[in-house]
Amino acid sequence: MRRLQQATTSSLSSSLKRRALCPPTVHATAVLSVMHQRRLKQHLIPHYCVSLPQLRYSSSPAADQASRLPSDFLSILQQNHPSLKISLNKYELDAHGHGESHHPVSPPDAVLYPSSVEEIQDILRLCCREIHREGDDVPTVEIVSVIPYGVGTSLEGHLSFLFPQDSDDVVEIPSSLFESNNDQDKQLLQNEKKKVRIKRKGGISLDMCNFQSIGELTPGDGFIKVGAGVTRNSLNDALRHTGMQFMIDPGADATIGGMTACGASGTAAVKYHTMRENVLGLTTVLPPQLIASDTHDSDSRSKPSAVTCGSNALKNSAGYNLPALFIGSEGTLGIITDVTVKIYPIPSHVIAASCTFDDLHTAAEAVTMIRMLGIPVSRIELLDKISIRAFNESVKNEELQPMEEKATLFLEFSSHSESSVIADLSAAQAVCVDDLSGSNFVSAGDEVTRNKVWAARHKLYYSSIALRGGDDDGATSQSTIVTDVCVPLSSFADIISATAEDLRDLGVFGTCFGHAGDGNFHCILPLRPDDTDEYKEKVFKVIELMSERAINVGGSVTGEHGIGYGKKSFLTQMYGYSGVSLMQTIKSSIDPWNIMNPGKIVDVELDVGATKKKSNE
Amino acid sequence: MKKILVPIKRVIDYAQKIRVDPTKGPQGVQLKNVKMSMNPFCEIAVEEAIQLKEQNKGAEVVAISVGPKQCTETIRTALAMGADRGIHIETKPDVRGDYIDLQPWAIASLLKGIVDKEDAVDLVLLGKQSIDSDCGQTGPLLAGLLNAPQATFAANIERGDDGSFTVERETDTGTETIKLNASGKPAVITCDLRLNTPRYPTMPNIMKAKKKPVETISLEDMVKELGLDLDEVLTPKNEVVEVYEPPPRKEGETVGSIDELIGKLKEKGLVA
Repeated sequence: MRRLQQATTSSLSSSLKRRALCPPTVHATAVLSVMHQRRLKQHLIPHYCVSLPQLRYSSSPAADQASRLPSDFLSILQQNHPSLKISLNKYELDAHGHGESHHPVSPPDAVLYPSSVEEIQDILRLCCREIHREGDDVPTVEIVSVIPYGVGTSLEGHLSFLFPQDSDDVVEIPSSLFESNNDQDKQLLQNEKKKVRIKRKGGISLDMCNFQSIGELTPGDGFIKVGAGVTRNSLNDALRHTGMQFMIDPGADATIGGMTACGASGTAAVKYHTMRENVLGLTTVLPPQLIASDTHDSDSRSKPSAVTCGSNALKNSAGYNLPALFIGSEGTLGIITDVTVKIYPIPSHVIAASCTFDDLHTAAEAVTMIRMLGIPVSRIELLDKISIRAFNESVKNEELQPMEEKATLFLEFSSHSESSVIADLSAAQAVCVDDLSGSNFVSAGDEVTRNKVWAARHKLYYSSIALRGGDDDGATSQSTIVTDVCVPLSSFADIISATAEDLRDLGVFGTCFGHAGDGNFHCILPLRPDDTDEYKEKVFKVIELMSERAINVGGSVTGEHGIGYGKKSFLTQMYGYSGVSLMQTIKSSIDPWNIMNPGKIVDVELDVGATKKKSNE
Repeated sequence: MKKILVPIKRVIDYAQKIRVDPTKGPQGVQLKNVKMSMNPFCEIAVEEAIQLKEQNKGAEVVAISVGPKQCTETIRTALAMGADRGIHIETKPDVRGDYIDLQPWAIASLLKGIVDKEDAVDLVLLGKQSIDSDCGQTGPLLAGLLNAPQATFAANIERGDDGSFTVERETDTGTETIKLNASGKPAVITCDLRLNTPRYPTMPNIMKAKKKPVETISLEDMVKELGLDLDEVLTPKNEVVEVYEPPPRKEGETVGSIDELIGKLKEKGLVA
């Protein structure tokens, strides 16, 4: 209650320092209870994950409720863009309100399917509008939230709609921020400020599936421009006869736009790095700076701008690194419409290998040594013995051989030259077997056998869930927490072992595995409906310990999955108040009305030089 | 095993959205400025040929295509995957391969001529159908013209030491296994989706392919050489009467309860 009072009485132009994040201490069970019946499994979630700071945000009620959008919002858009597809179908709304995680569903009020940059500009312009309603003493600025949607595979609640609290207070906003141009208002423009109320009016999902262009590949170039809605597999399929491929491989067949927005990467990162290093340029539509007027003039000066940033050159030191701002911005800064990504030649020779170790720590040390010796690897993955157990349980019905239940390293070497991969393989084998007493080192060159060698790694996700599944009340992918951290290589062995020990000591079911060459490891933690609160607290404890250890060694609380709202509380620990404050400054200046995916990464108050006035002044 | 022929077709890329110009009648399907690729089933046939070649050292894989000059690129794709040489029967630019002008009978006639000319062909591998005309006729017609054993919709192919081919064939009700005995005639097999996953060629293979031999001969010259009749070849046996886009899918209706659902189904005469 006291926090609520603080939020409403603090001045809207208060310094950003006071907006520092605090870890949420509020239980969100009340929010959960209004969730849609089909999402009952979300009740399983330990409190940390549902870090909806309830006093400041509300999630959407179940999709059965009425639309919160301004009454003319969709009709104006449909009129100006008759071919724009708009969906109000409850199932589509629901599908656009969640990713592939355990985070609760919070659907939009409408899903829009734009096909052009111009359509997006018009949509975003309408998301911050001055409305004069009969009987109101002052106009209302109505703000509609927007979240861009790829294929819905994000993991930290990125797609859940969160709404900052409204208030009935009248505020004064500088007139220069209004786009209105009728005579009556010209008088106001001469004064400095205008009195309004600010209201959030629901949210829309912008499904980017119509942005499917794939550019021409010029021979000799190692990049290609694609629409944000192109998935990575369809891009590689289109490239199948060019000899080049897009090498970033997160588990999901995500869209390039989504991968850019979330800074994605996968097993190939040890050789080809992450989206941060593979995006040469992008086009993004920015959120509006001005409040649109009530007239629907699409020529207006408040039309949000579309920016193309970056360069096709491999090296570019011209000006601020704008693409970097948007990579990993999780839809909070703009709508990415196309991305130019790097592509690489398909290697001519590939060898896969695996090696068993007596304990996880030694296996991790092998990774560090391989990296320190400069032995090139194209993939290097570490699975703990629980992961191997999960795999062994899952192969009982198939032709694959179960493996020895010990920590196992999976390696891959690729090159244009056969002698080169064989040399890399031998060097790595020497490290694993001779130096670190690894055993059962197997390798294979042909694709079929390579897939068999790596089967345990390929099947890891579902076999981990199946460890606690198998029956009607078993774990599913919606009730499974997938979390990751990334630490410097020198700490990798210690931290992954410590986490595996935590799982054992606390009696939590889960598998630990990682992109060991980057110091990045994940935990898959399946939950069941019959799990006790005590058990869920323990799961939370594992994640908390993991994250804190990572921060303590200067690592990251997330190597791949992003912050969303699930990990917001860790940002201050990672970057300090000044770091988070700088992020808030960037967010506020690019998205002053907090239209873009509010409540993710950082929280911001409207900082538009507005001062709050009590309504009786 | 000596020689495998793989006829391949250049079609609109399967991932492209087809555009129909309603003012152009039967010629309505837009081909200009549209991405073209090798027919996916032909890709599978090429892959199978390469795999058989790898298992039988010394076998030669020949890719054949009938179409405009850009077909050479399609043949180069097959060469990059591992085919040894190509034959391009070049048609004039306005001759359409998507059932409007060239149809399976003409193609099969040309291919029969090539099989005879090439001599010592053990196997002809084709895609089961092309994705523009969906005829599925070229393979069977060719087998008929050659009086050769055939198996269509192959999901698995095994070659016996005696030169026979055992083919697992996809049918609507399950898999049927057929053995094509060595007969002195080439076996004719059309390939279905499950047969294999076509490889993505590496850059060195793409560059090598540029140097592999491709014989280009005009349709007119080929027809003359094979002793066929040009009119026969270019006059389609079937006439395309109309081309149109399928009507847009109608939106479904949402019902509030099971009773309402049953009511609606009864209304529409779908249940008694």
